[in-house]
Amino acid sequence: MSAGVGVDLENLWIRFGDFVAVRDANVHIKGGDFFSFLGPSGCGKTTILRAVSGFLEPSEGNVLIGGNNMKGIGPNKRPTALIFQNLALFPLMKVWENITFSMEIAGASARDRRKRADELLDMIALPGQGDKLPSELSGGQRQRVAIARALCAEPDVLLLDEPLSALDLKLRQHMRTELREIQKRVGITFIYITHDQGEALTMSDDIAVMRAGVIDQIADGKTIYNDPATAFAASFVGENNVFRGKVLEVRGDQALIRTNRSGDLLSRISTANQGKMNVGDDAMMFIRPEALSLAPTGTQGDHFVTAKVNHEEFEGNSFNIFMEGDGGKELKVAIPNHGQSFDDHSGQDMTLEYDVNNAVAVPAGELAAE
Amino acid sequence: MPGFLKEFFNRNGTLMGSLMLGLVLFWTVGLIILPQLSMLDFSFRPNLPPPEIGGPKDVYTLENYKYLIYGPEGGSQDYNAVDLKVFFRTLVAAVCVTIFNLILCYPIAYYLGQTKGNHIRVFALMLIIPYWINEILRAFALRIIFGESGVLNTLLVGSGIFDTPFDFIRNDIALYAGLGYAYILLMIFPIYNVIESLDHNQIEAARDLGAPWWRIHKRVVIPYAKPGISSGCTMVFMLSAGALAAPQILGGPSSLWFTQLIYQQFNDNSDWPQGAAYAIVLLVTCILLVLAVMRLFKVNMGDIGK
Amino acid sequence: MTTDKIIRVSIWVYLGIFFAYLLGPLIIMSVTAFNSPSFPRMTPWECLTFNWFGELFRDERILNGIWNSILVGFGTVILSVSMGLAGALMLTQIWPKLRATYYTIIIAPILIPGVVIGISTLVFWDRINRMLGLGADSFLSNGLFLTIIGQSTFIASYCMLVLVARLQRYDIALTEAALDLGATHAQAFRKVLMPFMMPALLSASVLAFLASFENYNTTTFTFGEYPTLTIELAQKVRYGITPAISALAFMIVALTVFFALINEANIKRKKMIADARKDATVGELAGKIEVPGIISRNPAAIALIVLVIGVVSVTASAMAYSPDQCIANVQEQKRLETEKRIQELRDRRAKEAAEKAAAEGAEGGATQTAPKPSNNSGFGGVFAPNTLNNEGADEGASDEGADGTSNNSGFGNVFAPNSLGTDDN
Repeated sequence: MSAGVGVDLENLWIRFGDFVAVRDANVHIKGGDFFSFLGPSGCGKTTILRAVSGFLEPSEGNVLIGGNNMKGIGPNKRPTALIFQNLALFPLMKVWENITFSMEIAGASARDRRKRADELLDMIALPGQGDKLPSELSGGQRQRVAIARALCAEPDVLLLDEPLSALDLKLRQHMRTELREIQKRVGITFIYITHDQGEALTMSDDIAVMRAGVIDQIADGKTIYNDPATAFAASFVGENNVFRGKVLEVRGDQALIRTNRSGDLLSRISTANQGKMNVGDDAMMFIRPEALSLAPTGTQGDHFVTAKVNHEEFEGNSFNIFMEGDGGKELKVAIPNHGQSFDDHSGQDMTLEYDVNNAVAVPAGELAAE
Repeated sequence: MPGFLKEFFNRNGTLMGSLMLGLVLFWTVGLIILPQLSMLDFSFRPNLPPPEIGGPKDVYTLENYKYLIYGPEGGSQDYNAVDLKVFFRTLVAAVCVTIFNLILCYPIAYYLGQTKGNHIRVFALMLIIPYWINEILRAFALRIIFGESGVLNTLLVGSGIFDTPFDFIRNDIALYAGLGYAYILLMIFPIYNVIESLDHNQIEAARDLGAPWWRIHKRVVIPYAKPGISSGCTMVFMLSAGALAAPQILGGPSSLWFTQLIYQQFNDNSDWPQGAAYAIVLLVTCILLVLAVMRLFKVNMGDIGK
Repeated sequence: MTTDKIIRVSIWVYLGIFFAYLLGPLIIMSVTAFNSPSFPRMTPWECLTFNWFGELFRDERILNGIWNSILVGFGTVILSVSMGLAGALMLTQIWPKLRATYYTIIIAPILIPGVVIGISTLVFWDRINRMLGLGADSFLSNGLFLTIIGQSTFIASYCMLVLVARLQRYDIALTEAALDLGATHAQAFRKVLMPFMMPALLSASVLAFLASFENYNTTTFTFGEYPTLTIELAQKVRYGITPAISALAFMIVALTVFFALINEANIKRKKMIADARKDATVGELAGKIEVPGIISRNPAAIALIVLVIGVVSVTASAMAYSPDQCIANVQEQKRLETEKRIQELRDRRAKEAAEKAAAEGAEGGATQTAPKPSNNSGFGGVFAPNTLNNEGADEGASDEGADGTSNNSGFGNVFAPNSLGTDDN
């Protein structure tokens, strides 16, 4: 397995008229990595991908692939292959012609192309389907043909633009595993664009979380989930309960926060913000639903929260309790289902407990839209 | 190089981009805009023999336009009654042809657009086939029918309705039938295209609510089909006002169409500037008329041709 | 419900009238091509003849016109389809602010009267020609060039409309995918966009050719020394119509129906192939797909075959059949009828002369028979039958205000016995 070719974005700006689509992006992607850009639609992640593949000229800054500056090099001359959101399979070409289109361009003989197509069809588990038209395949099969077509060009970097978004949930989950396996097998760098944090977390080595043209955080999935750098990253990746307030006291890597409605609560300061949060600053504290547990009602303390229960639901693997929360948002608690009995507490006050290490404080900022 | 041009060439490649841009510029500027401007310019110049063009006599003048209104200088009449009469008659007749076509074609377009089945394909084919046949030949066919001893007269006289053959040509009936005939397709297709996209459930719903058929058309179908109707009417009007072949073949000897006057100025009198001026008058009047009607019925230019 | 039934019946009646109006003239015109009278007419039926086709093919000007039309047609197809395609592509990526203006400009030629386009083309290129100091025989004032340019001005708009409709369903990502896989812009255009556009390009080409072939209004100003078929036809029709034109029209109608049926059969066949592919196994796909024969379940193909058989058998019988005997019979019959009428006329005149003579005799004046004016003797015999026949009988060869002199069917020898007049005296 080769080390693969890395991709660097240096001070990348992309503007459309007055609109700034990407603001000063600096990313280093290691060769052979599976790297994801994660963000809501319109955050500029597809724009970055188009700049890497060469369909867009950056307004400022550079795209480097394998250390080479790509300025002025067209998409057909770059060592990248893109898998489009709608796959963009050529509808009038048969599957094998689609897969070996890059070889046709290079002038390979039909015989060689046929042979290579059969190899790739075996790899994507579609043996013998080469003579079909793309329209005669199922969604998942088309997906795999698109991957084979991109791989046939032997790119150093494979770019994927939300390729799974058109598939149904089951197939999507299956294709995640398959994509990851293919990436490990071919060993080239994958850059993956998605708004689905589940996809990003399960497949990626590293993830860049993007919001409105800005990259908030670049880290591996575990770090982003457990130690988010911004309010946006905390609220966008996975479910999270937010407590707004002001910093009352900083104790080393912990902060005591005077929350708007739940009293003073103690929290860990996220790694990226340690030393940067001062007393009196607006802050937000996040606790995941599964990090909260029930405590005797009325218990006081800097890691206890008391609130009124709105309603409850049973989700199979957990009981979910929704309580009155901060800023109009409900506070969600997920109690793992061990077969224990569970009473209805609607309308009553309940007290919750959490481990301070599982709460994380960041400077106040924009939250992800629901 | 300006940014948008650079982006254009990035997107299309230098070769394909220049080819595309070149063709579009040649078409829009070289074939559409400049010739029209050139004709406009020409219409304000006197008719000179070639050596004098560009000479001292080649100055701008309103002479050609005055001619349409006042006739030749020192003429016996105050106004150019002949040409003006032809001009207004052409416009009025074109409007009549348009209305006739609309009334004739709307039911057909509605039927084709709202009925499903294989026979619709056959009908569509039968509609199109006449339009693959030469315009002159279509007029010729009507002349065979409307001639003094043509099919129609034989039929009418033979059945005893008329005593003597009726001169359809001299009475312009052949001409109007021919103009109507010539542009049926251009009326049907735009209306058909729009009505086809009308959800049949809307009509069902209106009928379900007890609306009589004429009210369904008035309140549901016609408002929906308005872009198609205006598109069809515009095309039929412009084309019949600008028709030349049908009036030449089907027109009576004494009744001229305005395009025939233009043709005479060019080919018989060799007075190009005068012909250009008449062409400008025809073009501008027609466009103004269409725009006025479009404004009256609140339709956009962008709907034309859809 | 009875009202429903009434509505349904009236719809069909209306459709019947409508299509009679639309197709009737073409059918009548086609039929006249096979009738022998020299004025194209369906009634009365005289003799079945194929001579008008022969006459058509002997007409140098018509043949030359067809050739010119084909030249102009090909030039126009190439120019207008490429301009239409460029215009359509430009429409998809032009600056949104300019879009409406641009669309108005490229759609305008459809609405500009053809006469105006013809004139402006003529005037503009004449001016360019003079500016460049070229003579009257230069390339820019060549009829072929001017006609192609003039026709393409508006035919390109039709092409653009056809192409835009297909282009709207094109996913620009396909071009990007091709570029991404290493294709140049030209390769992406040729290998991806062009195949996708091919059906629309074909229809646009056919449309452009037909529009060019039948154009009159623009061409009549620009044709110069290259009169197209339409121009020649118009000249002929304006100065007198003959069934030879019906013969040409019939051939065009037959060709049109022929190609329409081929097209229908083809569409149907493609659909059947697609259906067959859907049900085919992987193995069948790799090999050859068993397509049901083109004739089975394809009404258009059946109609096509019937049409071809009809044309072949008619042509074959036309080779063997000679209408001469029939025409001679009809002429003989007409001659007898005419003679009978002339005889009546003669009797009447003789009677009048006798009465006149009697009256003069009674007056006691000179009993000399007054010599008739000399012209009466020459033309009296020719025109007399016409005046007799104004009830619309079949001999009225010179109606229509067309040329009475083009009586090439043998009326001449019936009507022009010059001796008649002298006999009369």
